[in-house]
Amino acid sequence: MSLLALENVDVFYGDLQATFGVTLHVEAGETVAIIGANGAGKSTLLRAIIGLTPTGRGSIRFAGEDITHQRCNLVARRGVALVPEGRRLFHSLTVEENLLMGMARARPGPWTLSAVYQLFPAMRELRHAPASDISGGQQQMVAIARALLTNPRLLLCDELSLGLAPKVINEIYSCFAGIRDSGISVVLVEQDTVRARNSSSRIYCLLKGRVTLARTAADVTLEEIKQAYFGDRGS
Amino acid sequence: MSIVEAFINGLMVGGLYGLFGLGLALAFGIMRVVNIAHGEFIVLAAYLGVSLLTLTPLPLPIVVVCVAAAAFALGWVLQAAILNRVVGPNPVPGMVITMGLSIVLRNALVKIYGSNIRSIDVGALQDWGIRILGVSIGVLPLLIFFAAIMLFVATNFLLTRTTVGRAFRAAADDFEILETLGYDRRTVYSAAMGLAVTLSALAGLLLAMRSSFSPFSGAERLLIAFEVVIIGGLGSLRGCFLGGLFLGVVQVVGLRLNPNSGPLFGHLAFFVVLLAKQMNFSIRPAWRRA
Repeated sequence: MSLLALENVDVFYGDLQATFGVTLHVEAGETVAIIGANGAGKSTLLRAIIGLTPTGRGSIRFAGEDITHQRCNLVARRGVALVPEGRRLFHSLTVEENLLMGMARARPGPWTLSAVYQLFPAMRELRHAPASDISGGQQQMVAIARALLTNPRLLLCDELSLGLAPKVINEIYSCFAGIRDSGISVVLVEQDTVRARNSSSRIYCLLKGRVTLARTAADVTLEEIKQAYFGDRGS
Repeated sequence: MSIVEAFINGLMVGGLYGLFGLGLALAFGIMRVVNIAHGEFIVLAAYLGVSLLTLTPLPLPIVVVCVAAAAFALGWVLQAAILNRVVGPNPVPGMVITMGLSIVLRNALVKIYGSNIRSIDVGALQDWGIRILGVSIGVLPLLIFFAAIMLFVATNFLLTRTTVGRAFRAAADDFEILETLGYDRRTVYSAAMGLAVTLSALAGLLLAMRSSFSPFSGAERLLIAFEVVIIGGLGSLRGCFLGGLFLGVVQVVGLRLNPNSGPLFGHLAFFVVLLAKQMNFSIRPAWRRA
C-alpha cells in the first residue's frame, strides 16, 4: 500500500481547470520529484494534497485513508507537512516562535527543537531574530524546520530553490539525506530538472496539468525529460 | 480641578480608551473583522454588571469575573456561529452583520432596561481621594487605571509567551500556513474574538464604575475605539495604549478648558492626527511584539 496515492485528480480554480486526471503515488520512505514548467500545476497539486485547495474530482488517499475532501488542518495532523513556495514564514514572529508554531500541534516523533538546530546549526544563533530579518536561505531553512517539527510522514516541498543562490541551494539539499534517514517520505516540486533527478528515486513530469512522464529517476534521460517538459515542440 | 488634575484624570480615562481600541484592533488585526457592534458589547457588559450587582448578592470582583466569562462566550459564539462564515478578503459582510447586531442589541437594551442613564455603584470607594503634591486624585480612577494597565500587560504576555497568543499573531500573518501546521483557523478565530470581546467588556465595566451610560452610549464608545486604533496604529499594543492615553488627556483637558465642549476636543485631535498621517495606514497590518 502506498503512503500517498492520487487517482485521476482534477483540481479547479473557479472555472479554470489546473490539473487533469493526475495519478501518482509515493511509497513510505521514498523521495519523489515532480517537475514541470511554470503553471504546469505542480503547486496546485501539493495544495490539493494537503487540503488548501479543494479537489474537484478523483481521490487522494494517505496511509490507506481517504483524505480527498478533508480539511487542511486534519490532513496535517495525519502527518502531511508543507514547505510552501516562497517560504511564507510568520513575519511578525521570531524564528523560534515560527518553530514553536510547528511544534504546538505536532505528532509524536523524532523531530524536536534541538534536532532541527542540529540539522541547521546557523538557526540556533538566529532564533530570537524576527523571521522577516533573516536571509532567503535562512528563511528556507526555518520553513523546512517548521514543517519537520510537526513530525510528518510525508513532507511536501514546493520550489525549495526559488530565488536562492546555488551555494545556498546545495546546503539545503545536502540536509535532505538526514531527513530521509528519519523515515520521512518527500515530494520535491522543482523546476531544476537535474537537481530533481539527482535527489529523488522517481520523477513525475507535469505539462499543462497532465502527467507526461512517470519514471525511475536513474533510468530517465535528459532527452526524455525535455520531451515531457515542453511537449512536442521541444523535440 | 486644575489643569494638572485634568491631565492626570485624562490619563486614567485614557487607559480604558486604550482597552476599547485594543478589542477592536485585535478583531481587525487577526481576522479582518470590523466589529461595528463593539460599542454595544461594551455597553452590554456594563448592563450585565449592573444586573448582577442588583439582582444577586455577588460581590463586585465575582461579578467582574462573571461578565468576563460571559463576554468570552459571546465573542466565541458570534465568531463560530456567524462571522466564520464570512471571513475573507472582503470585510463588508462582517461589517453589515455586526452593524445589524448592534441595532438589535441597542434596542433590546432599551426594551429591557429603559433609556435612563445608569452607572455601577461602587459604594464609599467612589468618594475616596488622595493628595500628592497638592494634586488630588480619586482612588477609584487610580485603581481602574491600574486595572487597565494590568490588562494590557496580560494581553501582551498572552500574545508573546503562550501558544494560543502566537497562533493569533500567526493567523494574522498567514492563516493558510497555520492550517498546514494542524490548527483549525476557525477555532483560532473564535478564541481571538472571545479575547477581543472580553477586553472590551472589562473596559466597559470599568468605565461604568466611574461614569454613566445608557443604551445609546455604544456609538460613542465605538467612535472612541476607532479613533484610538487609528491614532495608535493597528499593529501594536503599545500604540493602542498610547493612543488611548492621548485621546483621554485631550478630551478631559478640553472639558476643563470649556465645560460645554463634550467630546469635541477629542474628535478635533483625532482629525488633526488624521491629517498628519495622511490616511496612510496599511490595510494589512501585522501583530508585532509590543
